[in-house]
Amino acid sequence: MFEVFAAVAIVFAALMVLSRNPVRSVLSLVVAFFALAGCYVLLFSPFIAVIQVIVYAGAILVLFLFVLMLLNVGPERPEKTGRPIQTLLSGIAIVLFAGFLLSALRHSGSAAPRALAGEPNVLGRPEALARELFSGYLLHFEAVSILLLSALVGAFVLARRDREPRG
Amino acid sequence: MIALWVIPVIPLVGFALNGLLGTRLGKGFVSAVGVGSAGLATLAAYSRLIPYLSSGGGTPVIEPYGSWIVAGSLSIDLSFRLDPLSALMLSFVTFVGFLIHVYSVGYMHHDETDAGYARYFGYLNLFLFAMLVLVLAETFLLMFVGWEGVGLCSYLLVGYYYDREYAAAAGKKAFVVNRIGDFGFLLGMFGLFTTFGSLSYSEVFGKAAGNPALYQPALTLICLCLFVGAVGKSAQVPLYVWLPDAMAGPTPVSALIHAATMVTAGVYMVTRCNVLFRLAPEAMAVVAGIGAFTAIFAGTIAVAQNDIKKVLAYSTVSQLGYMFLACGVGAYVAGMFHVMTHAFFKACLFLGSGSVIHAMGGEQDMRKMGGLKSKLPITFWTFLVATLAIAGIPPLAGFFSKDAILAGAFEAGGLRILWAVGLFTAGLTAFYMFRLVSLTFFGRFRGTPDQEHHLHESPPSMTLPLIVLAILSVVGGWVGLPAVFGENANVFARFLAPVLPGLKGVEEHAALPHATEWALMAVSVLVAAAGLLLAWSWYARGEGRTPARIAAASPGVYALVADKFRIDELYGVLFVKPFYWLSRTLWKVVDVLLIDGVLNAGAFVVELTGDLLRFLQTGNVRNYALTFLLGLVALLLVVAGWI
Amino acid sequence: MIGTIPLSEVLIVSGALFCIGLCGALLRRNAIQIFLSIELMMNSANLAILGYGASLGTREGQIVVFFVIAIAAAEAAVGLAIFVALFRHTETIDVNRINLLKW
Repeated sequence: MFEVFAAVAIVFAALMVLSRNPVRSVLSLVVAFFALAGCYVLLFSPFIAVIQVIVYAGAILVLFLFVLMLLNVGPERPEKTGRPIQTLLSGIAIVLFAGFLLSALRHSGSAAPRALAGEPNVLGRPEALARELFSGYLLHFEAVSILLLSALVGAFVLARRDREPRG
Repeated sequence: MIALWVIPVIPLVGFALNGLLGTRLGKGFVSAVGVGSAGLATLAAYSRLIPYLSSGGGTPVIEPYGSWIVAGSLSIDLSFRLDPLSALMLSFVTFVGFLIHVYSVGYMHHDETDAGYARYFGYLNLFLFAMLVLVLAETFLLMFVGWEGVGLCSYLLVGYYYDREYAAAAGKKAFVVNRIGDFGFLLGMFGLFTTFGSLSYSEVFGKAAGNPALYQPALTLICLCLFVGAVGKSAQVPLYVWLPDAMAGPTPVSALIHAATMVTAGVYMVTRCNVLFRLAPEAMAVVAGIGAFTAIFAGTIAVAQNDIKKVLAYSTVSQLGYMFLACGVGAYVAGMFHVMTHAFFKACLFLGSGSVIHAMGGEQDMRKMGGLKSKLPITFWTFLVATLAIAGIPPLAGFFSKDAILAGAFEAGGLRILWAVGLFTAGLTAFYMFRLVSLTFFGRFRGTPDQEHHLHESPPSMTLPLIVLAILSVVGGWVGLPAVFGENANVFARFLAPVLPGLKGVEEHAALPHATEWALMAVSVLVAAAGLLLAWSWYARGEGRTPARIAAASPGVYALVADKFRIDELYGVLFVKPFYWLSRTLWKVVDVLLIDGVLNAGAFVVELTGDLLRFLQTGNVRNYALTFLLGLVALLLVVAGWI
Repeated sequence: MIGTIPLSEVLIVSGALFCIGLCGALLRRNAIQIFLSIELMMNSANLAILGYGASLGTREGQIVVFFVIAIAAAEAAVGLAIFVALFRHTETIDVNRINLLKW
């Protein structure tokens, strides 16, 4: 099961990256996020999966869509000033990085198939999660809420249309 | 009973007042403060001197004023000392200084602005302060403070007419040449400290006298170094070249600093350290040799000079040579005696020449003078008295002091070359001094009619000091009558005896039998008289025809002598030019090329790097992201150990 | 089924998603699409964290991801507001053309 969801996620992620049309990118990413939510369920995190769908796919990406509509962005035209060095170096760097990740994986001993432990029902229960969240991580919770408030205010201020110049 | 420190501080206060307020408050204020502080200092000095003298003046009075420098093993106190030697110096430094301050009022009044007048008296007071510190100090370092101070004031006052190129240059020359001597003094002090562990007179002399053999090789070296300082300050060969040039300063300055006080500081120092010198016979021999050579050398130059002040300058150098000759042969009493009498008659001569120059409207060339005795009677008579004194005609002061020196030189035994040199120089002295008198006061007037109209006697502020000094030139010698006049006749010698303790291991010369003394006296009087008469016949009666023929007969020799043997030019080639070359090279090559070059190159490299690095700022976000990634990859590779 | 997912597989998936996101972030010209790729990278990290949390039998993974999602939301809001403001000034979101801080 997990492989299926993972494959879907990867495919649509690649589609997102390759697509010229930004709207298509966003939609592909939505599908990928759904697939990821499925993966999360299989990793004993049903609550997080739901949050992913509601917040990430449903709010954030929708916001992206709104902005795309607002800016009326069209498909990307082919690059006129070809800057091959940028592409080349990026490619090399990414390859190196990927290679590094792979070897880190191999060397770290997580390569050996290690089964996931824990009872699925126990680990993912929202009730238990909430209890842990609001007891040990209460401060973090409150801090994040303040962060959200400031982000709200910030976004509002930044996107405001400029008023008439004063004076 | 006032403390000793008050005596130098009074002129220091005068300097401060004149320096700060003099320009604003005018010449009256400046004169009052300047002369007043000199007078007050004299009174203060005598208020301590008279009780000291009447009590016999044996034991030295040391007034400590607390610690001055304490650094590790070096501990120097601030203290003043009143003993026969410093009392002697104090007596005439203050009094002659006061007279010259009075004279300066008349001399400097008309020609100077208020600012210049205040500056002059300020510096003069400052000089008095420094000289008094020098004389009263109880430690070498404190004396050195005064030593440097008088050097500074000499520079300031010689360069008083700072807008005249040659006066400014003369001031610099005085300071620089003095400095060379001071370096020797410093080395001597370092030697004293490392050898004796102290810089106070009582300690150093006490230790040296107590155990002479212990300090022996170091002692000669120290004495020679100290003597180098004296050579600089008292204008002996080879560091005399600044004194004739220093005549560029106002004449009262020449009288005070370069005749009566500053230049005698070297003799004072050598006499103060007589304990050290007497334990180092080689050093004393050097002192005597240089003194004698300087005396005759300067005397010959004086014969061919035409500037009235230059003659007196070389005469001063020559007489200082006499004083060092005396110290070198062990006749310290005679040396100090001559210091005192020389102060009287040389100051009188300089002030008299100032009077003549004043009357001649600034002219200093004797060839343009003549016949002034009728126009300037007081000046003439005082000048004549002082000339007879310096020539050594009894019973004037110079005779007794010079005779004491010659007797000492004769006593020293050996080949008596020093005595012969001294005797010949005495004749030279009489000759060139009377040449000066003849050219200036006798014969016809040889100047311009304008100058002739201007001739007038000087005001009382100038003539009164002349008269006082002339009287002192007459009677001043009577305190030091030689032994032939009675065993206790030499008051002066008895007074100074405590400063010259007996030292074990050093034998004193046997006193001369009376007959020899009378013979010596007769010989010196004859030689002096011969010189006088020759000068009179050649210059007063003969109007200079004979010397002119002699000069024409050997023009090369005459030119050499008149040109002071071209020593200045020699120094220029040997020392001055190389130094200029060195400084120019250090400047152009080392400083500009190397040091500045290195700094500029560094700055250039930084600038270049910046210019190149700024191309990294493309403004393109993708490039920055790429850079992040590349950096991250590199870091990871390093951490993993693959690079 | 559930419970037999090897951790290494989770990590491989996560790594692959991350690299795909990296490609997108470096090689696209459209600012919005670059931002989307960054969101993808964040999600790949979330996946990895959840994988570890599950394999260690603790709930901390979920809690961390919870906070990450909240913060990502805030960040997306602010970032898009910036894009909007930028677009108003420059009429473009092609990052190659937004290079005012050039040397």
